[in-house]
Amino acid sequence: MKFLRHLAAATLVVAAVVAAGLAWGHFDPGPLPGPGQGGPGQVVVRGQAVKRLPPGFKIRPGLRVISIGPENLGLTSMFQAVNLPVLRDTVEIEAGVIAAVVILEIGQRRWRRARRARRLADVTRPPR
Amino acid sequence: MATSPAGSVSGAARRRRIAARTRLDFWFDGILLLGYTLAYSYGFTGIGIHEWLGLGLGLALLFHLALHWDWVLRTTRKLTSPRGHDRVIWVVNLALLVGMTLCILSGILISRVALPYLGINLTRIGPFWSTVHDTTAEITLGLVPVHVALRWRWLVRIGRRLVAWRAR
Repeated sequence: MKFLRHLAAATLVVAAVVAAGLAWGHFDPGPLPGPGQGGPGQVVVRGQAVKRLPPGFKIRPGLRVISIGPENLGLTSMFQAVNLPVLRDTVEIEAGVIAAVVILEIGQRRWRRARRARRLADVTRPPR
Repeated sequence: MATSPAGSVSGAARRRRIAARTRLDFWFDGILLLGYTLAYSYGFTGIGIHEWLGLGLGLALLFHLALHWDWVLRTTRKLTSPRGHDRVIWVVNLALLVGMTLCILSGILISRVALPYLGINLTRIGPFWSTVHDTTAEITLGLVPVHVALRWRWLVRIGRRLVAWRAR
């Protein structure tokens, strides 16, 4: 029961962030009416909007269909050695950041301990 | 101090319960990190796994947040106290919450596989959300390891205990 309460509270916080994000997207005067993701002169059609071109359909000169086949899910890409460097790069970045934070944290803790020890020594030192 | 047998049993049960929760946290966090690493490596997984993994991560992160909601409340109340360590973790976690939520939201909006599979076809989704997705993904790649590293002592301690527990 307690967990469900916590889940509801967490969902509420996430919903607030989602609402703020959607509002940002709605009111952003940025490049929404732009040329599309494919770059200038290209239009990206998502999802199942175009499955295949009808027989005898002629594409206007200047337009080019890059892919009219189904979306390539790349389900086998994990088994291709050529894609392994992508995962290795991610792991290296994560490991690098973790190592940097751990080193910083250890350094900071040592510095704090040394400062506390110096202060303690100053307080306990007998007056001359 | 003498304890009754019933008291010692309930104490042992309580210890086991705490250990079970700690184990859940440890393994669940490990799976989340692994899932995030795979989901970020888009070129490795391909778009299908990337999108479904991202959706799963969204639900798992909600569960993760709910599991640690006590910590959120406790630390938020103590924000004005002079102890700095938890404040840094709180700020990092808040930034991560916002970044991860926007990343998953934008990922859902620009989805090419998972949403159409579920019969949802969003139209008029401009490049804004693609930019948001790329940017927040980069930000979370910086914040996730920081989030992990700030708890490295806990991770090492529990990891050692789990290894010792399995070796028994």
